[in-house]
Amino acid sequence: MEATGEAQRFAHEQWPYEPKFKRVNGWRMHYIDEGAGDPVVLLHGNPAWGFLYRNFVRPLTAAGRRVIVPDMIGFGLSEKPVREQGHTLDGHIANLTGLLRQLDVRNATMVCHDWGGPTGLGFALSNPDRVRALVVMSTWAWPLPAAEFHKRIFPWRMMHAPVVGPYLLGRHNALAGRGMYLSVVDRKKFRAEAQSVYEGILPDPGSRLLTWTWPRWIPLDETARGFARFEWLERELRKSKFPTLLVWGREDEVFDQKTFATRFKELLPHAEGPELVTGRHFLQEDSGAEIAEKINRFLDRIDGRQS
Amino acid sequence: MTQIEVVEAPRLDGKRRALVLTEDRVGHYPEFREFFVRRFALDSSGLARPGYVQAPSGMVYALVFVGRSGEVFPDGIEIYALPDALEPLNDADLDTDLWALLRWMIEGVGGEWRVEDLDATGRLYQLAAAGAG
Repeated sequence: MEATGEAQRFAHEQWPYEPKFKRVNGWRMHYIDEGAGDPVVLLHGNPAWGFLYRNFVRPLTAAGRRVIVPDMIGFGLSEKPVREQGHTLDGHIANLTGLLRQLDVRNATMVCHDWGGPTGLGFALSNPDRVRALVVMSTWAWPLPAAEFHKRIFPWRMMHAPVVGPYLLGRHNALAGRGMYLSVVDRKKFRAEAQSVYEGILPDPGSRLLTWTWPRWIPLDETARGFARFEWLERELRKSKFPTLLVWGREDEVFDQKTFATRFKELLPHAEGPELVTGRHFLQEDSGAEIAEKINRFLDRIDGRQS
Repeated sequence: MTQIEVVEAPRLDGKRRALVLTEDRVGHYPEFREFFVRRFALDSSGLARPGYVQAPSGMVYALVFVGRSGEVFPDGIEIYALPDALEPLNDADLDTDLWALLRWMIEGVGGEWRVEDLDATGRLYQLAAAGAG
């Protein structure tokens, strides 16, 4: 059954793209699909949606690439499950797999940020015949150690603690508003240009469920729910040979580049980078066009090697 | 310190239950579940009755504990305000009450969980109930 989303159109001068919907893995997923050529799949994390990549779409399509930007189930214009049990890491990888198989995506470049990392890399490593290259930004793909930021009670673990999470991130939308604001470099520009968009796409407490559910999936010890999947990610990633570009924000305090980009470089010694740009965790907000250009040049280099 | 009082047998006639907050995974950090088990003797009372608390506004709240097959009880909590049956909730009072309930909970959980860190988190995210400007 083809899912429709006429009531889900989002009008914004920086997001003039035709909304498309597919029913994937039992859920209604929104995505955009622009341009023609080898696909570049742009994957966001918590609490963002495709809008995070608004400055990527035109430069990539202008360079002759097809750009697919899905909204993770639970975010953006996609369906939002109403129970925490509706979200699992494996389920989200399956959601993405469902979309990209329906679109018969092949020779794809997976651009992975935040939870778009474990999910996008999960797709790539389980569907290597459909993937050409990886771009990795401010994310992780191993069970331990967790980021220092994620181990601290103030503010991270307190923010999503039982009962606190539904209040602070649900009732008060703290992550899509103030949380993102604190995680960009140019906060004045973010507030003027984007903050209300991220807040507005999650209008009600019930629509924000995934903002406190995803933090609870970050492994802090061996008992974590996603531990085995992250072990698999690390093991398979280490064996993979995908051409890879690492891009990191200099000011990233969540997945600091010294720790996390270095770890990716150890797992993927053939990776290019890390190429550093102005940016905290949401580096796309501060350096979107620059990163898009880096991706174009990276893919041009691969094309040059393959021609 | 706490502004929350446990109420054993609140007056329920003429009231309605208004769902105000849902927690699907109270045992995400097990010490939170253990606090509720301890505070409301859930090991013995189980699903027999909600826990009732009175908050700063005077409103009584019912804490309804949720069991889920295969999970340690309680697995979730639903928090209901108990306003007069036909009266709407006052959103500002509700917010203040819930914040007080969180402070009471964190104080009760204890250990590495400190009310000072909850307050600092509330101020960082500019919650009026946490005293943020």
